[in-house]
Amino acid sequence: MGARTVKALQANFIRGFWLLVALLFVADLALLKTYTPTERTMGPIQMIFYLHLPVAINTFLACLTAFIASLFYLWQRSAWWDDLASAAARVAVQLCAVVLATGMAWGRGAWGVWWTWSPRLTFSLILFLLYVVYLVLRSSIEGRQRRAAIAAIYCVIAFLDVPLVWLSARLIPDIHPGSIGLEPTMKLTLAAWFVPVTLMTIGLVIARFMLNQRETQAARLAGGMP
Amino acid sequence: MKRAASQLLLLVAKDLRIEARGRQTVGLLVVLGLLIVAVLGLGLGGTAAAGFGAPVVLWVAYLFAGVLCFEKTMAVERSDGALAGLMIAPMDRGTIYVAKLLSNLTLMAAVALVITPAGVIFFSFDLSAAPGTFVLVMALGIVGFAAIGTLFAALVSSTRLQGGLLAMMAFPVALPLVIASTQMLIHRFRDGQPIEGGALGILVAFDAIFLTVSWLAFEWVLEP
Amino acid sequence: MTGTFSISASFPAAIETAGLGKWIDDRPILRDVHLTIGRGEYVGLLGGNGAGKTTLLRILSTLIPPGSGRLSVAGCELPRMASKARAHVGLVTHQSMLYRDLTARENLEFFAKLHGVRHASQRVEEILQRVGMSARADDLVKTFSRGMTQRISIARAIVHEPDVLLADEPFAGLDESAAAAVEELLAELNAAGRTILLVNHDVEQTLRLVRRVVVLRVGRDRGIASMT
Repeated sequence: MGARTVKALQANFIRGFWLLVALLFVADLALLKTYTPTERTMGPIQMIFYLHLPVAINTFLACLTAFIASLFYLWQRSAWWDDLASAAARVAVQLCAVVLATGMAWGRGAWGVWWTWSPRLTFSLILFLLYVVYLVLRSSIEGRQRRAAIAAIYCVIAFLDVPLVWLSARLIPDIHPGSIGLEPTMKLTLAAWFVPVTLMTIGLVIARFMLNQRETQAARLAGGMP
Repeated sequence: MKRAASQLLLLVAKDLRIEARGRQTVGLLVVLGLLIVAVLGLGLGGTAAAGFGAPVVLWVAYLFAGVLCFEKTMAVERSDGALAGLMIAPMDRGTIYVAKLLSNLTLMAAVALVITPAGVIFFSFDLSAAPGTFVLVMALGIVGFAAIGTLFAALVSSTRLQGGLLAMMAFPVALPLVIASTQMLIHRFRDGQPIEGGALGILVAFDAIFLTVSWLAFEWVLEP
Repeated sequence: MTGTFSISASFPAAIETAGLGKWIDDRPILRDVHLTIGRGEYVGLLGGNGAGKTTLLRILSTLIPPGSGRLSVAGCELPRMASKARAHVGLVTHQSMLYRDLTARENLEFFAKLHGVRHASQRVEEILQRVGMSARADDLVKTFSRGMTQRISIARAIVHEPDVLLADEPFAGLDESAAAAVEELLAELNAAGRTILLVNHDVEQTLRLVRRVVVLRVGRDRGIASMT
């Protein structure tokens, strides 16, 4: 197969992939309207939970990916790992913004306030800040090796900090305890929402990773010339 | 092992001698800390609730003073390439970290000795119930903050960077320390509850984890 | 001349590299460098800007690890035996690597003790005399002129009696008399048996001082040019 055919196939695969993700989201929205029951105490706004929780879990997975990639970078010193860590962290920030937004919307809808210092919201905020700092750090350092090394150490430390942030956030008194009892239909809906969200996360990370790789290659070519 | 210990003493003595020789670091940090406490005290007024704001206000002062302290002690090494001189000496690079950390802690202790009483007084924070607890909690917090601050200062000082980068890195990572210590102190002094093992555990875990990680980072990743 | 300098272990060459390479930030700074410097030689390292001379010296001094290839300094293979090698290598650069807020004596005693030199104060006294700075020993380094700072910097580099001295642009920023003093110092050190590798952008000066010259060419393999 010629290179052009491979490229065309790749482009089609990518298009197909995102089409599938979009379709799954639409299907899930339909599910919410027809199949899923409304939660008693909080009303329709509770439905945002079906987006919030999968995105939150995927945020954590993205952070974990960045952590592992950073460790591998420090061990192998290969730009491949640095590109992956950077991509995963970037997606983590984007997802965390969604977690914050949906969390705040949920709070507004259910209890009338945009913000409370509840454990969950506080944790999301600090997580967001931790990884935003990672991105700003990367853009503030010139020199690829130095930037990669410093960013990697910071990423490792930030991730090790996450459980401590979680535990300390739980010390804060929570006036709106939000544990929800889930009926079987709700669990099914949740599972249905997990699929497109997870696929989307993986797609975003890979897309960003490939972009990073292209930039790294370009820099390498530019530098290698006498 | 003994060699490392004597090298450690040598390094810390060198740092403290330089600081003592009119670099005005401690003076500047103390004044900055006092100003922060005073400004926040003025702003928050004299309400009873504000009294229990003392731990947080002190933390703000420690965070800003600490970042400056760590930057200054690392700048000493960078200014004429002295750090390179240390790195080609026959010593573990981890020893350089411990020495810097001890120097930073010594300076922070001196600063805390002045601004902590100021904070307690300005906010009428009654320590009589458990002064030992208060000191222990704040000490654990400062140790943890210095642990990561020393590492980050070394990383950040190796490049031509803008200021504020160290604060940006160190503040969010240190938040568990701030939250755990203030929650613990509020529960102890305002609500009269006994010390919570959980919060104390967070402080100790933070210190243990990040002292280790930072030491390892110096051993493996430090750049001249 | 107090010739108390002794050669520690017997090794064939002071510096030996084979196929040494180093990439920094996706650029090949050093590529396939072959270099052999015998004990007691005084060699000049020349090359255009960006040829990698400073990087080479930083690798030889164990400051940064080599990228690829084989390398040994004073009989110690790097990077495996880096901490052993440090006892045998001294480095002088255009940065003094001194603490401005300490006196010359305090600086030298600090580095001497760090290296585990026995009878440190005595040794420091000797070295201060050797570099002609005894009179200013108890003045803060920040009060020194560039020439004096450089002399103390050389003193720092040799305080642990290394077999090999690496000098990266030691004459930078020095006026004529200060430069002459440094030239004399280096010549004495070499006469006493130390191997010296000198990096210097001033070709004429280098040719005058050293006995052999090697050239590092930009982005390519090294070529060796020897001379009188």
